[in-house]
Parts: sequence; structure tokens; C-alpha cells
Amino acid sequence: MSIRLTPRPLPVAAAWRELEGPGAGGVVVFVGRIRPDVSPRGRVVAVNYEAHAPVALARFRALDARARRRFGAIRVVLWHRVGRVRAGEASVVVGAACGHRAEAFAAARYLIEDLKATVPIWKTERARSARPPRPRRGRRAARSSG
Amino acid sequence: MGRPVRVLLFAMARTAVGRSELEWTVPPEGIPATELARQLVAAHPRLAAPLRSSRLVRNGRYVRRPTERVRPGDEFAIHPPYGGG
Repeated sequence: MSIRLTPRPLPVAAAWRELEGPGAGGVVVFVGRIRPDVSPRGRVVAVNYEAHAPVALARFRALDARARRRFGAIRVVLWHRVGRVRAGEASVVVGAACGHRAEAFAAARYLIEDLKATVPIWKTERARSARPPRPRRGRRAARSSG
Repeated sequence: MGRPVRVLLFAMARTAVGRSELEWTVPPEGIPATELARQLVAAHPRLAAPLRSSRLVRNGRYVRRPTERVRPGDEFAIHPPYGGG
């Protein structure tokens, strides 16, 4: 089991190494990244994540146990960022190593869907307005025009 | 009276109150979780809306019964709908 709730960037390549080992005929890793979507508030430049850490980590352990029981997962990765995550960066990495591909896909899907629904983590989008800045009307300009 | 209850607020609940944490005094025998929630709304009316869709957590475990008592020294968290991933 490898679980992390961290303000540091998630080393995606390291997730594969965590899942290596004998018996793993199928390994699936899912990486969720911050999309620079455009909304009425502007373009998303970052997402801020907060978590109720002790409860979130207990949920991660429960998800790991369930993936092993339900899908025969041999190894599991559950990593999530907290704090500010910039657009383009990974916010979540989940992975499962199972005997065969069908179980590995099913386990990884279960892990990400259940994480989103049951782990106490919240996000707030930080957007930057797409509107051009207003021209400044300072005192100096007013004087020079008078 | 003993130690206060430590109230943790997240996401919409934190925004509604303007703080991520509060201390709340309860009697030594405790009060039902729903009564504590009612008292918090009375003190912070903007908490009413986020509370309607939130889960209550006492000492790291979800409150299953509304009569479950929150006692001095407990941690009581308000969890709005989750949004990880």
C-alpha cells in the first residue's frame, strides 16, 4: 500500500515503481491533472485542495483494503495533492497491480471513483480573468490633459 | 465545563463562517450532534445552507444517529460534499 496526501508534486513515474512486483500481470495507473478550463470567471490557473487529513487517510486505507478484497489487487497506489496545484500539474494518482488486465482496470476505476465520492477532500478553483485590464486614469493623466 | 469541542469547518462551511476552526462549549454530559449543529447555525446563520448538504463527523467517524452525543474535548467536523480528484 502506498498512500500520500501531500503538498508536493506527485512523481508519476514513481507510481509505476511502487506497483512493480511478481504476480502483477496487469498494472493500471490513472493520473488526474488540472485542466486550464475557461469559465465565466476566467481561465483556471490553479486549484486549491484542502482535506480533513486523518479521515482522508483512513478512507485511503479502506479503499486499499477493498481493492484487494474485491479485485484481488496485489499493490495499490493512492496519492492526492493538497494546497495549490497549478494548471497542468497532477492532482491525483491512483494505481492498481492485479493478476490480469480486467481486474486492474476495474480496480483503478473503482479507486478513483470512490476517492472522489468518499474521501474528504475539497477543491476551490483559482481563475484569472480573461478580460483586458481597464485603462488607468490617474491624477497625472488628468493634469496633463487639463 | 471541561475542554471545549473543537469544531472543524471545510470548503463551503469554512467560507460561511469565515474561519476553519472554532471552539464550542458543551455541558459535561454532552449534547446531541444535531443540537450542536443547530447551535452553530444560530451563531452563524450563513452556515445553514452548507449544513443541509453536509455530513457530520465526530472524532473522525461519521455521525450515524442524530442523538449521538458530542462531549467536551471531542472533535466535531462539518463535511460539505467532497470534491477531490
